[in-house]
Amino acid sequence: MIRFEKVSKAYPGQASAALDTVSVDIDKGEFVFLVGTSGSGKSTFLRLVLREARPTAGRVYVAGKEINRLASWKVPRMRRQIGTVFQDFRLLNNKTVDENVAFALQVIGRSRSEIKQLVPETLELVGLEGKGDRMPDELSGGEQQRVAIARAFVNRPQILIADEPTGNLDPTTSVGIMKLLDRINRTGTTVVMASHDAGIVDQMRKRVIELDSGRVVRDQAQGVYGFQH
Amino acid sequence: MQLRYVFSELGQGLRRNLSMHIAVILTLFVSLTLVGLGVLLNQQADRAAQHWGSQLQITVWLCKDTDDNPACTSEVSDAQKSEIATVVEDNPEVADFHFETKEEAFEKVKDLLGPEKFEGPNPAATAADMPQSVWITLKNPEEYQGITSAVVGLDGVSGIRDMRDVLKPIYGSINALQWAALGTAAFLVFAALLLVGNTIRLAAFARRKEIGIMRLVGASTLYIALPFLLEAIVTAAIGVLLAGGALAAFMYFGIEQRAATGLSFMPWIGMPEYLVALGSIAVLGPVLTLLPTLVLTRKYLKV
Repeated sequence: MIRFEKVSKAYPGQASAALDTVSVDIDKGEFVFLVGTSGSGKSTFLRLVLREARPTAGRVYVAGKEINRLASWKVPRMRRQIGTVFQDFRLLNNKTVDENVAFALQVIGRSRSEIKQLVPETLELVGLEGKGDRMPDELSGGEQQRVAIARAFVNRPQILIADEPTGNLDPTTSVGIMKLLDRINRTGTTVVMASHDAGIVDQMRKRVIELDSGRVVRDQAQGVYGFQH
Repeated sequence: MQLRYVFSELGQGLRRNLSMHIAVILTLFVSLTLVGLGVLLNQQADRAAQHWGSQLQITVWLCKDTDDNPACTSEVSDAQKSEIATVVEDNPEVADFHFETKEEAFEKVKDLLGPEKFEGPNPAATAADMPQSVWITLKNPEEYQGITSAVVGLDGVSGIRDMRDVLKPIYGSINALQWAALGTAAFLVFAALLLVGNTIRLAAFARRKEIGIMRLVGASTLYIALPFLLEAIVTAAIGVLLAGGALAAFMYFGIEQRAATGLSFMPWIGMPEYLVALGSIAVLGPVLTLLPTLVLTRKYLKV
């Protein structure tokens, strides 16, 4: 589903590369943690998957396509196969929960009847049934992140990318979010989650890819956060 | 594509940046009006030139039966005319010349003053009252002494009218007005471009969160840029309408009611010329707003 072939990425004006000959293969339906300190290259990795950035060397494949050779007008269509969740939720505060989720469908031209069906369905999946009329600032952090996950998942993408989704949440709330991501993963969606949260990574016992100074230093099938060789 | 979203965004965008949009519209309005005026004045100069000839022309009046000039004893003879033609033809300052008959002169006068005065039992003048003439086009408007002195003493020549004496001040003021209008318009057009650019920057900043999400979920570039493009078209349309109205007012109050009645010796521009001016600003207006919008949306909304 996601394949990196000897991918390097250097940003102009920076001495060391953000990613250094990284080769990784993530299969369909996998749940992968991306761990490492700040500046280890996690964000660059995710940016490359979304084609927000292009590699300096090597190839990035997403859903069978080499995306760094994709024409820029095809990029929007490719991004429709990927849902993205961030640490800071990024909800539109002037829109209700329903409207926030529907927005992701509206702007890619889905019909009103599809939206009418998919939005409540997805809100129910993330455990927010009945809260569609609320405004984001009336919700708790955990609920806001659920809205963000609903928005990322409402178009049923093949891949869900989560960049520190529990970074702003307390441990109990974080567990709820992780259960939700796990449930989404069980529908066959590939989930890639960058995380600092050792507790969560240890608990989930999923594949762990650890980056350090742009290199893959560990790729473990049922890993924990810290080193365990 | 859900156009409902695009139009609600358009309405929101217009309201959110209302003061900027008004600034853009007013600047466009004034600059387009000036451009339109320039186009009108240019056509006015053309019309005058068509009627009177350009600044390069000299008219030689030939003798007629009842001539005021005592040197003319009778109507110019064919021999005299061919003598004059030879002199004119041989002169190095002359680019071109032609004879005008009494009838042609009469037609011109009728055209200018209206045919009513020349019809019926008691006309103001007839073709017979008109002088024949030679219309000479010079190679260089500064070199005319040679030909005037060569022709003025010939038999059959009643007088010489140097068009430059008549036309220079008129053409001069039309030209000056035209360039003043276009020059001022150039500054305002530049200001309009900058204003449009600023408006887009502000709007893109105000909507950066929406735009970021749209890019992430895979909205097409056109879809993201569409509200901006529509805003550009709406402001341009309002600017063009206002400028078109101002030009129409200028045509009606300035030309039709004032100049055309007070200064009727001159042919004045009318509806066809107005439509040309309107057409040019109707093209220029949208170009002025769409061009910076297209450039800047590429910059600010890049996927």
